[in-house]
Amino acid sequence: MKNIFILIAAMAFFSSCEKDLPTYISFEAYEFASLDENGGTWDPILLDSATQIGIPTPEDVTSPSYLAELADLKAAASGASADELEIVEYWSSNSLIRWNEIARELAAKYNLAPAPNPDGTYSAPDPANPSNYPNFPFAHPPYACRMFAYWGTAQFDALIAAWEYKYQYNRPAAYEVDGSIETHLPENGLPGYPSEGAVIAAVSKSILTAMFPLEKDFIAEKAAEHFNSLHWAGMNVESEIAAGDSLGRAVAAVFLNRAKNDGMKNAQAPRPVSDSLKAAAQAQWGWQWDNLEDPPRPVGITPLFGRVKPWCIPNVEAVRPVPPPAPGSAEFQKDAEELQEIADNLTPEQRKIANFWADGLGTYTPPGHWNRFAGDLMIKYRENPLRSARTFAYLNMAVMDAGISCWDAKYYYHYPRPSQAIPGFKTILGIPNFPSYTSGHSTFSAAAAAVLSHIYPADQAQSEAWADEAAESRIYAGIHYRFDAEVGNVQGKAVASYTIEVAEKDGAQ
Amino acid sequence: MKKIIYICFLAACLSLQASAQTPSDAIMMGKGQICFGLFYTHDTWDEYWEGTLKRNNGNIGTLTRQTVMPMFSLGLLDRLNLLAALPWVRTEASAGQVKGAQGFQDWGVWLKGEAFKLDNETGDLSLHAIAGFGGPASNYLPDFAPFSLGLGCLDASLRGVLQYKLDKGPYARVTGAYHLRGNCIIERDYYYTTQGYYTEEVDMPNALTYGATIGTWLFDDSFKIEATYDGLKTLGGHDIRRQDAGFPSNRMIFTRVGGGLQYYFPFAPNLSVTASGGYVLSGRNVGQSLMLTGGVTYVLGLWQ
Repeated sequence: MKNIFILIAAMAFFSSCEKDLPTYISFEAYEFASLDENGGTWDPILLDSATQIGIPTPEDVTSPSYLAELADLKAAASGASADELEIVEYWSSNSLIRWNEIARELAAKYNLAPAPNPDGTYSAPDPANPSNYPNFPFAHPPYACRMFAYWGTAQFDALIAAWEYKYQYNRPAAYEVDGSIETHLPENGLPGYPSEGAVIAAVSKSILTAMFPLEKDFIAEKAAEHFNSLHWAGMNVESEIAAGDSLGRAVAAVFLNRAKNDGMKNAQAPRPVSDSLKAAAQAQWGWQWDNLEDPPRPVGITPLFGRVKPWCIPNVEAVRPVPPPAPGSAEFQKDAEELQEIADNLTPEQRKIANFWADGLGTYTPPGHWNRFAGDLMIKYRENPLRSARTFAYLNMAVMDAGISCWDAKYYYHYPRPSQAIPGFKTILGIPNFPSYTSGHSTFSAAAAAVLSHIYPADQAQSEAWADEAAESRIYAGIHYRFDAEVGNVQGKAVASYTIEVAEKDGAQ
Repeated sequence: MKKIIYICFLAACLSLQASAQTPSDAIMMGKGQICFGLFYTHDTWDEYWEGTLKRNNGNIGTLTRQTVMPMFSLGLLDRLNLLAALPWVRTEASAGQVKGAQGFQDWGVWLKGEAFKLDNETGDLSLHAIAGFGGPASNYLPDFAPFSLGLGCLDASLRGVLQYKLDKGPYARVTGAYHLRGNCIIERDYYYTTQGYYTEEVDMPNALTYGATIGTWLFDDSFKIEATYDGLKTLGGHDIRRQDAGFPSNRMIFTRVGGGLQYYFPFAPNLSVTASGGYVLSGRNVGQSLMLTGGVTYVLGLWQ
């Protein structure tokens, strides 16, 4: 019996070791490395100018209405409860990073493929009836990269406008008007009007609600919490928040207007269109990719995503890769044999890399993975939200253009997956529902790494190592041939060169 | 010495992607005696519960899990036994393009003590307590449903076994255990369950296992036949979402019925053969397994 008591004690110890696992990336609020006072002069992506959307002229800091707001702010900040301060800490000094995390989370939540119906058919998500099963959206990589792109570019334009007004009106931050205000975030010295936090919350709310309509309430709750946190933190008076909110919403509307007509609504082509792409490939190349699931999915993921309007590349033809080697050719055989060799002798390290980069169903996808890396760099360099928005904008424009280009190649060449072309070949990850050539992971990652290397040159080696590993991971998993990965890598870099060209001229360098 | 002294047996319970074995009988090896066992289990399912929805999956077809499990039970004292087991598992699907897995699953050690035994003229009532501890014996990936070899976590359990056995042979037994589980480690540092987690660690729900057995010894205690009912229920965990893959921290529940036979050869009284089977009646986030087990046990006296 004594032994049993010892064991009970061991079990108690064992359970006391358990701690809550992190559900977000925690970082300490920081003072911005720079304020980018000239940010209002940077070139926006869609807005004609930083002042295209107006906001009311702020009341003077001596006006009774401002003084009343200031008194409210002071009370809110000094009376903030421990729970409220925890919320302030969560949103932190650069809430863009937090909203990006929320966007990633929603991507992961909605990244589930439709289940087959009892009769072996599949239904598609319907944006007009998002709550019908399968729920809208299915946040696969094309959907996710587009979502991140609209979110990032809208943030960038809205914050350029915000910076323009901040320095145009130059209303001092509340804590500078009244030094006795108790602030709970670093005092960065940014002019207060409009509130950059409110801009970020408003843009996020508009874009993410449009992209994930079933999350309307959740997103509204998060945005309300974020607005409140600006009060509790002692950062912004009400008129600054209201102006930021209206500016953010108006800029987001411009981007959502583009989204409405960018071709995405036709990307999930009906079966006859999908079949005609397949037949065209068979006629031109002598091969075709087939979905091998049971029951087979009649249409791959977004066959016409290659026709969605890009951001920076002139057209998909400009970056379309050369044709892949024909199945059975010597070049094909070499890479097919490599796959078999790897599959038969997979090392623990290779398995780990394959799983780390899997980014498949139920995850935030490769575009989400790169957004996460970008967020880490923003924290590392203590960026202000405008600087961070710029990174998110160019990163995600490049990643979406990479997706468009990659999907163009995928359905133009319609190349079979290794599991289709190599008899008896098995993988360690599920096989995505779209053609093989070129590798999405490789194309997305090469483009992302190129943009991050441009913006964070000191981290170039790390970014490129990640991209190479992401590409390699698909070979280890048996999902892609080496030529899918290598050509995808070149393609991603080619796409990013157009994005970087725009970035170089936007006035922010 | 009655042959019953020689008997040792391990029950195995199988779930969607993981199996856990746990001794749950009332048999004690005498001091200095060791019983070796070797068991083979063939477990298949072609339907599983995705949350509460029972379904099949054309990309899995039939999932087959084969287990070879060596184990021993050693009599440290007449009333205290040490048990250990190390299963080797192989999983594969009849459909789809994903390769299965194989390798050592979880080692397990148990200390089993006789808490009390009341003898009367017709039989005896006994209570045993079994404290167990186990964990992964290889680097298998728990995040590989439905092929993963096991749950990939440490498991500390405490079990009670209450039995009433008539001297004539029949017996009835109930058992229940609480399993404390540690976190398991997967190979990606973000995953979504009901929310996202930024870590490679997965918080595993604790679990209850329970069972009831009735059986009897026949033919001068050389043959045993029994019927079993058992189950598992995790305390927490989340459902598999529609068309999502399973995950180690799923809420897992099942109930199962089964039966077992054991026979001691007259010409080799230290040797027995066993056969047992089980079928999952109901479940949640587990496969509807049909499992068949065959094995041999052999007893040696090491010291007196």
